[in-house]
Amino acid sequence: MIVETDRLRDLLVEFFELAPETALGDIVQERIAEWDSLAMVQLIVEIQNVFGVGFDVEEIEQLASYSQIRQALNRKGVKVSQ
Amino acid sequence: MSYLEQEQQKALRPLGTHAGREGRGHLDAVISRLPESARPAVMEAFGKAPTWAKVRRANAALEGADANLQGPEVVVHLLASFNLEPIEAALRLGLACIPCRPQMQVAPLNTIEQHLLDQCSGVYREHNLATVVLWRIEELLPEALLPYSSGGADAAKERMESLWQRIETACCAYREMGKSPLVVATFPAPQQMSGLMLNSQLVGGALNAVAELNCRLRELAASVTGLHIMDWNWWATREGAAAFDPMMEQMARQPLSLQGALSLGLFVARHVRPFLAPRRKVLVLDADNTLWGGILGEDGLWNVKLGHEFPGRIFLRIQREARELKNQGVLLALVSKSDEAEVRQAFRELPDMVLRWEDFASRRVNFNHKYESLRAMAEELGLGIDSFAVLDDSDHEREQIRMFHPEVLVINQRSDPLHMLQALQSTDAFDAYSLTGEDRARHGEYQLREARSGRGHGANLEEFLHALRLEATVERVEEGNEQRVLQMLSKTNQFNLTTRRHRLEEVKALMEKPGSIGLTLRLADKFGDQGIVGVLLTVPDEGHRLRIDSYLVSCRALGRGVEECLWAELVKQALKDGVQGIVGEYIPTAKNALAEKFYNKLGFVQLEQTPSVTRYLMEPLKPVDPPSWLARKDEQ
Repeated sequence: MIVETDRLRDLLVEFFELAPETALGDIVQERIAEWDSLAMVQLIVEIQNVFGVGFDVEEIEQLASYSQIRQALNRKGVKVSQ
Repeated sequence: MSYLEQEQQKALRPLGTHAGREGRGHLDAVISRLPESARPAVMEAFGKAPTWAKVRRANAALEGADANLQGPEVVVHLLASFNLEPIEAALRLGLACIPCRPQMQVAPLNTIEQHLLDQCSGVYREHNLATVVLWRIEELLPEALLPYSSGGADAAKERMESLWQRIETACCAYREMGKSPLVVATFPAPQQMSGLMLNSQLVGGALNAVAELNCRLRELAASVTGLHIMDWNWWATREGAAAFDPMMEQMARQPLSLQGALSLGLFVARHVRPFLAPRRKVLVLDADNTLWGGILGEDGLWNVKLGHEFPGRIFLRIQREARELKNQGVLLALVSKSDEAEVRQAFRELPDMVLRWEDFASRRVNFNHKYESLRAMAEELGLGIDSFAVLDDSDHEREQIRMFHPEVLVINQRSDPLHMLQALQSTDAFDAYSLTGEDRARHGEYQLREARSGRGHGANLEEFLHALRLEATVERVEEGNEQRVLQMLSKTNQFNLTTRRHRLEEVKALMEKPGSIGLTLRLADKFGDQGIVGVLLTVPDEGHRLRIDSYLVSCRALGRGVEECLWAELVKQALKDGVQGIVGEYIPTAKNALAEKFYNKLGFVQLEQTPSVTRYLMEPLKPVDPPSWLARKDEQ
């Protein structure tokens, strides 16, 4: 079996201190209590610094789940898994 | 690339790159004070690509370290006109680097006056070490950023005066009612501002408001005891745009990038530290390649670099900074491994010398180990060695001092003169809010020092030399290294038994004699390869003997066992060749007193002595063990 490393998933798991087996579909703002507006601010800094990208205002309003963040990164040409 | 991406690119630069290499130097000094177990995590957090996760890990590593090494528990209140909450972890990390266990209290956005005027606020509690205030005109005087929409010059002046009244009232009230000191930031010039040119002309504009407020703050601090200035405006100028993040400002009412927040944490820590740690009392200076460029004993008095041309002007500036510190009440001390008469002459005769021999409260110019000299100086001055800070270009000397006296602060990390100058300028070793402020030093630092003092004691010279991971490569003199051999023959003065300045043809002729042995020694240590630092040339003499023609070791490699290692190798090869004995000569010069007793030390017998030469003999030869700390790279 090939195990995919997923840098975005790792980042989110570490950032919110999630259980490692958390399903990707569960990494959503409304299901994570710690994901408040303060965490959101820090999370954006984290993603920008780790992946070396900058988000525009419109994009920042659409970063409320693993899949949304992944899509936003993909649009910028960033591959999150290898 | 969008504007925001450009901003982001700037923000991704490592901390301190825009401020030059010295920014990093200060950080190294800060980290060196932390418990060893926490250093890697802290270095990572302050490194090239900081993230909140790294900041969190660094905080955890510090909290997990030995409690005795974490430093005293310290309460600091932070008040700001903007939202500190999102960057709290970065500020906490900075404070922990004092080092201390910070109990940081962050007040809600823009409640500065409420706290300073309310005696029930935490800032008035007994154990508050200090209250730090950060403010910006963006929040307190926003109209100044839009002068053409905010009435004329009179309205601007009125607003400015009313803001100043509030500031003055709050600061004075706090100092009258409270016990702990108040550290107020200067206002930084606004980062984002339109109409730059018009604003630059206006008396009632933002830039002038910043200058005026800062000027008044300084005047106020001069007249109110316990009120101190933290020049945040200076910090913002130096850190530049990378320290700020316009998106954060909009999203979180907090203007700083993560890099900026980390740097600000260290900056705040630096301004709180004087309430905990006494300033260092003694600046110990090396001479060669520290106060002037070059080596007095080798290059000669008139060839050392000191003056108004590059690079001599860097050394001139180092001397000026040292003199300034002296005038700020810091004692200067001179520790140099050179000839005292020569150093005195340099101070007396070099025209651009800023410092005088008399400027030094204590001097040790001799060939003793510097750690011994430091100990002797501490006794002489009646001061703890923990009040010493050292500037020395030699990696070896700095490492030795660090190992024998971990409580001594080593100011510079590298030997580059510009780095040394900048390290001296940026060190926090002599920080004080006023020149009588030393008394404020509290108990905490002493306890911390006691906890530390156990380490490093018991270190002996041999352990130190082992720790340097010295490696020697001994080779025959041959075409590939002849040039270096010649250079050493012409330059080396101090450890040079005969000071014979051979030319190339003479060296070749010596080495062509059947039975002659010529050796070079190349030295490397954990700091890098030092190149060839030792030369030993011998020629056959009557009665199956060898005569040592030249025996020299570069002064920067003395005390590492280079001369003994060469000797051991010579004996080994000579025995193989069936040599019976070895003749040595010592020819005294004005500079080589250091080597006078060397043959006695090796066990030679003195044959004869005249004023111009002393002759020695070793016969029969016995194998000698080379120094144990000097690994032979060529034999591995």
